[in-house]
Amino acid sequence: MKGLGEFFDRRRDVEIVIFAGKGGLGKTTSSSSLAYYMATVKNKKTLLFSTDPQASLSDIFERDFFGKGVTEIIPNLYVVEIDADRRVAEYQNEVKQKIKDMYGLDEVPAEIEEYIDSTSAEPAMYESATYDAMAELVAQKNFDIYIFDMPPFGHGVRMVAMADILSKWIEKITEAREKVVEYDEVAATLKGGGQASEDMVMKELLDIRNKIKNFTDLITDRKRTAFFMVLIPESMAIVDTERALKMFNDLGIEMSGLVVNQIYPVELLQNPNLSEFLRNRILMQQQYLKVIKEKFGDYIVAAVPMFTREPKGLEMIKIASEDLIHSKIKF
Amino acid sequence: MFWKKKDKEKEQEKEQGSEKTGFKKAAKGVLYGMASHGHVMSALRTRMYLEHLFMFITLGDMLGIPVLPPYYSLRILPYAVPNIKSWKMRVFRERDFTDAIF
Repeated sequence: MKGLGEFFDRRRDVEIVIFAGKGGLGKTTSSSSLAYYMATVKNKKTLLFSTDPQASLSDIFERDFFGKGVTEIIPNLYVVEIDADRRVAEYQNEVKQKIKDMYGLDEVPAEIEEYIDSTSAEPAMYESATYDAMAELVAQKNFDIYIFDMPPFGHGVRMVAMADILSKWIEKITEAREKVVEYDEVAATLKGGGQASEDMVMKELLDIRNKIKNFTDLITDRKRTAFFMVLIPESMAIVDTERALKMFNDLGIEMSGLVVNQIYPVELLQNPNLSEFLRNRILMQQQYLKVIKEKFGDYIVAAVPMFTREPKGLEMIKIASEDLIHSKIKF
Repeated sequence: MFWKKKDKEKEQEKEQGSEKTGFKKAAKGVLYGMASHGHVMSALRTRMYLEHLFMFITLGDMLGIPVLPPYYSLRILPYAVPNIKSWKMRVFRERDFTDAIF
């Protein structure tokens, strides 16, 4: 275990880094620390992207980025925090406007407008909007490295699983559409050799399929994408990580490494005046660190201490970054 | 005058020509009716079934059948607008045994 610095020295081709794990264990701190290191030490144009609806990046950097697009914090370090609600609303308005423009209408027919508005109630709508935003940003290729801070639900892996389902769904409906186009062409040929009109639906479907496929291919490419999970030395986090590892394997994704976070300094045990409360917590952690080593062994890439104060603001992120990159704790 | 005469000739030629094209068109129409019309109708009918099936897969939500995920269905929706009414009528219409015959 030599820290994330050694990992990225070995894996120079990595363009996408994804941090997943339960809520409150330090995903945002880890992703911000790595982004800081990439931007300041490696001089890479870095985009830190949060899909968390709780606006954690705004909290950690003590600035409001939520729904404000790509913002530069320091040279080379850019942050974007997606406001999925707003993105969905904008998208719905775009669809309504397109219908009005296409058919020269002043108003969208009531029934269709109701349907468009009702899609906001669909939870997959927000996940899709976030996924779409991620795919769009990566496709623009404006940055050297993209670091994603995933929301806690379903280890963030659900996002990848969803891409897989979406991809299959689009494949199927493209097939169905191809058949429609085929019959269109047959009818046009039999009628007298004329060509069937261009199928715009097919064009849209191919566009969606390519977008999803390119992004899915990238995030499942073991050379260009790295997945990390963050855990703490406690039983629930260990069980959750085991489950996530299984999920990763089932999806054919390679887990790049684990970051063990919030470790209390073991040296404190030497202090005879140490409170019983702290002594118990440190002993408990040491016990679980052994379990982590047994269960995950080579997966552990960094061990980060519990800080004396909340890791907020650039100064603290810099400190956290050094611990994540060089991993001074050994266990 | 010379140019008037020429115009007249041209008009006559045109009339003869349009008669020929008219005849060709009629013959083509008869042949089309005899040989291809049935096939064209059958291809268009199959196309309609497939189009409705496609709409069902993409916009099933509109009939109360949730289909994942509406985010991408919405991109297809503008193109489906003219067909929505006929599609709904077809899906919701009552059916009886005569449907199997006709």
